[in-house]
Amino acid sequence: MTIEFSLGKKQLEMREGIRGLAKNVIRPQALAWDRAGGIPEEFLRNMARMATSMGSNAMRSGVGDETEEEKKDAEKRRGSTGSNLFSALASEEIAWGDAGLLLCLPGPGLGGPPVRSSGTPEQKKRFFGMFQDFDSGPLKWGAYGLTEPNAGSDVSGIRASCRKDGRHWVLNGRKCYITNGARAVWTVIFATVDPALGRAGHRAFVVEKGTPGFSVGRIEEKMGLRASETAELVLEDCRVPEENLLGGEEKYQSKEGFMTAMKTFDNTRPLVAAMACGIGRAAYEYACDFVKDNYVLGRPIPRYAAIVERLARMGRGLEAARSLVWRASWMADTGLANAKEASMSKAMAGQAAIRACIEAIEVCGAEGSIAREHQLLEKWFRDIKVYDIFEGTGHIQRIVISKRLISDLKSF
Amino acid sequence: MISFEPTEDQKLMVESVAQFAKNALRPHIRELEKLRGVPETIRKTAFELGLGLVALPEAVGGAGLGLTTSVLLEEEVAWGDPAAAFAFGGPGAFGLAVLELGTTAQAQAALAPFTSEGGHDRFGAVAWGEAKAHRERPGFVTTAKKTGDAWTLDGAKAYVVNADRADHFVVFAQVDEAAGWHGVGAFLVDKGAAGLTILAREETLGLDAVSFGGIALAGVTVPDRARLAGGADFTAALVRFFARHAVVVAARGVGLSRAAFEVTRDYVDTRKAFGKPIGHFQAIAFTIADRAMDVDAGRALVWRAAAAWDAFDKGEGDEQECLLRSAQAIAFVHEAAMRCGDDGVQLHGGAGFMRDYPVEKFMRDAKQLGLCGMTAEHADQLAGAVAVGVAIDPGLVLPTPETQNAFV
Repeated sequence: MTIEFSLGKKQLEMREGIRGLAKNVIRPQALAWDRAGGIPEEFLRNMARMATSMGSNAMRSGVGDETEEEKKDAEKRRGSTGSNLFSALASEEIAWGDAGLLLCLPGPGLGGPPVRSSGTPEQKKRFFGMFQDFDSGPLKWGAYGLTEPNAGSDVSGIRASCRKDGRHWVLNGRKCYITNGARAVWTVIFATVDPALGRAGHRAFVVEKGTPGFSVGRIEEKMGLRASETAELVLEDCRVPEENLLGGEEKYQSKEGFMTAMKTFDNTRPLVAAMACGIGRAAYEYACDFVKDNYVLGRPIPRYAAIVERLARMGRGLEAARSLVWRASWMADTGLANAKEASMSKAMAGQAAIRACIEAIEVCGAEGSIAREHQLLEKWFRDIKVYDIFEGTGHIQRIVISKRLISDLKSF
Repeated sequence: MISFEPTEDQKLMVESVAQFAKNALRPHIRELEKLRGVPETIRKTAFELGLGLVALPEAVGGAGLGLTTSVLLEEEVAWGDPAAAFAFGGPGAFGLAVLELGTTAQAQAALAPFTSEGGHDRFGAVAWGEAKAHRERPGFVTTAKKTGDAWTLDGAKAYVVNADRADHFVVFAQVDEAAGWHGVGAFLVDKGAAGLTILAREETLGLDAVSFGGIALAGVTVPDRARLAGGADFTAALVRFFARHAVVVAARGVGLSRAAFEVTRDYVDTRKAFGKPIGHFQAIAFTIADRAMDVDAGRALVWRAAAAWDAFDKGEGDEQECLLRSAQAIAFVHEAAMRCGDDGVQLHGGAGFMRDYPVEKFMRDAKQLGLCGMTAEHADQLAGAVAVGVAIDPGLVLPTPETQNAFV
């Protein structure tokens, strides 16, 4: 091995392809999707087809939910387009076009990683099998239901309940802010047998659409990422077959339930961070182009040095975050534990990208705040904020990081 | 391929330099500070480890291991003592200046003294800065005038690292007074040249073991072959020199950041208040997390800049990319090092202000280091110029008395 930061020929070609797609096809429609609050299914199907033909699971699901066999084959995949690193590169490019699209792509989505890491072989076969026919059948999504009205960052505070009743589990409670929650064919739902048990009481279920007692509550109106569906899910005496308990009973002898929730994030945080870099880069590049096209740079202008410094700060913040994304992804591909580094990439990218979106509008002045087909700064400003919130807020990332730096730090 | 793993050779070198930093430097930082230099025994070891010659090409007697290897080792040395690498002996900035601005023959001749026996006792220096801006025109007050086959230099140079130790200088002077910052020339001048006076060493905020000073030039005459012409484009070569050199300084900034971070992390682990280690309070722990990100992100940016230069030297990649990566690394690390030093003292509380602990030195060193090579402000101007595609104006992107001086 050696320290290097160049891409292979195939990776470069594929990145160029995705870049072209983002520029010529995705971005021109981004504002319309944002206003419509969704993306036409035919477009999503084409994207899914293309992603499959490219061999990238990043585009299909938005997360790196590779199989165990693929994981074992890490050495081979390093430098290939199936690696976590390439998923990060692809995610950045698509988010540069439209971040909402990534969240809308059909596939298991955030539900994928917990099923991959904790599901029994039968469960994996069954729940991933549903996505095999996406090319011909109706589009399908998976979802991840953890957050509740009164339990967000503090996952151990979930109150959705589950109790065994014969060969079923009976679930009650509400889950909120669930991406693709209303259209998902199944959702990984976290519930507790007894809140007093803390994490040891947690259970994860794959709850299928149409299960009696499982319904959709409100669809949220959001600041940004409006093309993406965010739903509330309601469980009222919802009877889930026991074979849908993720990993089976024996999985829950320890606090494995909670670990299931967390494992998801180690996989997805660098990808979410990569998306943030994509949005931030879009704003940064737009601001650079705006300065080139609109301001007089041929002779000294009063704002020149200030503008340039602003742009430089935006650029280096994003580049620093991108470097951490690459490192966390590279560690995953190399088989190194990366929880701390994944959180670092997410914490830094969220902030750097928000800074970039805020500063870009400032650089462009009044024009920067106006929504136009080719002028998306106001949209990026709205889209980016949640990147420092979902998948663990910036503060949660700092908890993850500091626990790995400070001795004997269990909780605050 | 994107990879963050050093080669086996690099790992071995890092390991031995880390041991050296841990045993020979860190326990003695206060002694080096009082001594205002590095003792000969340590300099000898550094020379035997090949520290000053790592990145120089084999053609001029260097190890030819590239800038990536160099920044790995610089971080380790600076972790031991941020001032040390400046004070080890060796060509330092002088070597990079001669390589960028001179011909291969000039570089071979100028660097020969540093690669032979006794190299630990020979220093190079770059005399770039000046105390005051010229009032009437852009460019240096110091001039170089050609008469026949010789150049005569007059003026005074300031903010020169190792001015009082150097045997050989690259001196910058105005050769074309009408051309502003595009009218600068570079000359090789030996310490013994008639008319050259070493000015008094300055007392500084930090990096006490580094010598900061200046030289005066009164009718110093050098032959035309002592002029470093900078190849096809002197200004471009000049900017490359500054960028490369400041990346090396930034690598030291990473080592400094890590040192300040580590002593602070250890302190918050052991210092107790309100019945528990202070690191178990969120305000403290989050600060630790933020500074850890500064260290890691700074290092990653330095690696990327160094790797870009190594690729450039192999004829791959492009110069603008190298300049952008360098500028980003330099500005980020200078600010990050300052944050690590500042928060380091802050989390130590009153103890941090005391010289019993090393962290106050790291904080002073961080500010001082941020004024070496290129400042964050100039690095941002360079990055911004690349980003918006304007021609690189040396008067804007390089440290000058008109804008903001730096120690070179």
